[in-house]
Amino acid sequence: MADQANFERDAMQYSPQLYSAALRMTRNPADAEDIVQETYLKAYRAYHTFEEGTNLKAWLYRILTNTYINKYRKQQRRPTETELGELQDLYLYKRLGEASGATYSAEHEALDRFVDTDITEAIESLPENFRMPVILADVEGFSYKEIAEILDVPIGTVMSRLHRGRKALQRKLWNVAIDRGIVKAAEE
Amino acid sequence: MSGCEHAIEYVYQYLDAELTVYRKNRIKLHLRRCDDCCSAFEFESRLKHVIHERGASQPPPELFDSLRALIEEERAASGDDAVADS
Repeated sequence: MADQANFERDAMQYSPQLYSAALRMTRNPADAEDIVQETYLKAYRAYHTFEEGTNLKAWLYRILTNTYINKYRKQQRRPTETELGELQDLYLYKRLGEASGATYSAEHEALDRFVDTDITEAIESLPENFRMPVILADVEGFSYKEIAEILDVPIGTVMSRLHRGRKALQRKLWNVAIDRGIVKAAEE
Repeated sequence: MSGCEHAIEYVYQYLDAELTVYRKNRIKLHLRRCDDCCSAFEFESRLKHVIHERGASQPPPELFDSLRALIEEERAASGDDAVADS
């Protein structure tokens, strides 16, 4: 069992990442700071129950996501699986390929023209059920098993939400690419 | 299922390092022979990297101090309780 006296030493290092994830979830800096504060308070109070040597970062993210869900989910309509619609595999790659006349480098170079806010706004546009796995896997680099533990869902659910969330993210990035003139839309 | 279909079906699990060695090797072998899939995999890998690099935000500089102050206060408050309980 972990000693509360070591809490700051052990847990504080993860606060920038937790804040970043909280901001992607809440889409609002004040709310993000609020749930990070609540997360650290809860984590400190429960730290004697944390088993030392297990995954502290994942444990903190679990408290963060629970805090977020308890505070904000009630206010939101839960999006259904079907809302994302069916999307093709390799969605962005194929669209960029069509737009660029399939020259190899154009698709890859288009990626370099996305700026930070293109990416953060695209992530934040995802329905919540899909946004969380995408943040945890792609931004934070957690494994499927860790994400399953953090979100308290089976690994299969993580994989399917991640798969659909990533496709939706690609569709959003494609729209951004057109809106910002990163690519010219193919005749549609 | 063709080699291409198999590879594309598992592209994310491959890039997430979540495949068994057997499947991973089967895909590696296919990528060596298939330029189309190789290019697609490279694109998805770069996209994953771009999302990782550009999808995070920096916290406000005072976050660290406000969290420390919060814990200090909590520690002082629970310390008082402990004394009161004894």
